[in-house]
Amino acid sequence: MSAIEELITELARLPGIGRKTAQRLTFHLLQQPAEQVGRLAAALTGVSERVRACTECGNLTEEQPCAICRDPRRDPAVLCVVEEPSAVSVVDRATEFRGRYHVLGGRLSPLDGVGPESLRIAPLLERVDRGGVREVILATNPSMEGEVTATYIQQLLAGRGLRVTRLARGLPVGGDLEYVDGVTLQHALSARQEIG
Amino acid sequence: MTLVTTPAIVLSALRYGETSKIVRLATRELGVQSAIAKGALRPRSRFGAALQLLSDGVAQLLTKEHRELHVLTAFDITRVPVGLAADVGRYAAASALAEVMLRFAPADPHAASYDLLRDALGLLEVTPPAALDQIALRTLWRLVSVLGFAPALESCARDGQPLPPDGALPFNTREGGALCAACAARHGASSLPPDARADLTALLDPAGELPLLDQRHAASHRRLLSRYIRFHLGEGAELPALEFWLRRPWTVA
Repeated sequence: MSAIEELITELARLPGIGRKTAQRLTFHLLQQPAEQVGRLAAALTGVSERVRACTECGNLTEEQPCAICRDPRRDPAVLCVVEEPSAVSVVDRATEFRGRYHVLGGRLSPLDGVGPESLRIAPLLERVDRGGVREVILATNPSMEGEVTATYIQQLLAGRGLRVTRLARGLPVGGDLEYVDGVTLQHALSARQEIG
Repeated sequence: MTLVTTPAIVLSALRYGETSKIVRLATRELGVQSAIAKGALRPRSRFGAALQLLSDGVAQLLTKEHRELHVLTAFDITRVPVGLAADVGRYAAASALAEVMLRFAPADPHAASYDLLRDALGLLEVTPPAALDQIALRTLWRLVSVLGFAPALESCARDGQPLPPDGALPFNTREGGALCAACAARHGASSLPPDARADLTALLDPAGELPLLDQRHAASHRRLLSRYIRFHLGEGAELPALEFWLRRPWTVA
């Protein structure tokens, strides 16, 4: 296989990139100065060599444990459980959450062959059993798989003397009722809050 | 391009690019079809929360003959089986049903399998926990039967000879069910004891009373069904949801 073909094949393995896009990217890279392509290659190698899952929470990090787990200002008694490392930065950037995280590494999905043993559920239970955790927030996605995962973890945590909560579901801020689907509206109605 | 409006159930949904999804739908009018839902991941998408796994609704598809990927222009949801998400066992059974449908239902009109899947998902949602195993077994056996692979229990699967109405039966998964004594001697079979035969007959009869199965017998029936599906429909393909339902890993922890 030629070098060009090899790069196209590797790029086409990336999510959301088909063969045509892979070809375009390959020919774009071939037109760039060698040092720029070298920086990209070094960045790819660096990510692969230096970034690891945090031994404590499963978030991606270059140091062990990760900066969030090391931060003494964060409340270790509140754990926010998310599906993927990408959700950590989303929640952390967008909210005032000051607890710690636990990354599952996916969600229960029998159709994809993902069972409880494929997820970081045992380390979550270990963290909880070590003591000091008061609340676990289940922040898995509001999809069918995310809900099943949350249900399963909630059942495992029951009887451990913890507060287990689930992220609320409902209307998006700045949204328009006209565009909201019935399922979301039903959730919003069920979880309505008193004002004033 | 033809616009087809059809009842449909979402069997799988994959992200495609930044904002779209590719879904596999069990449709009543077109069988199992793939479609792209453009912009489904945008915050103000017209699909909203509709394209969740196992959602039941009415799909509008822009179809073209000989094309494998249609365009989903709308999906009006009629039911999201939220009850399935409240119990991993229910969800596992529903996933196994979806997998059988996804892998083995034709890409041609097949209303019987769609209707069965829709009813089965509704049933799994509300079935009392004590009957969940039996309902899962019945709905899976029924789906296998509707897809044309019902196991023979009344006449020999090989030569069609009528079988005795009760008692133990020689059963050969590979041959497609029970065998007469002569065929069993030639082709081999394991014995299906009288109570297991009665249970399997009851499971295959949608109007029949559900058999009472203790854990050991339920596990035997799950293994038999799994072997049967793997041999007759699986053709070596991996069936992770069926395996998940068979192993029941959620009961271990």
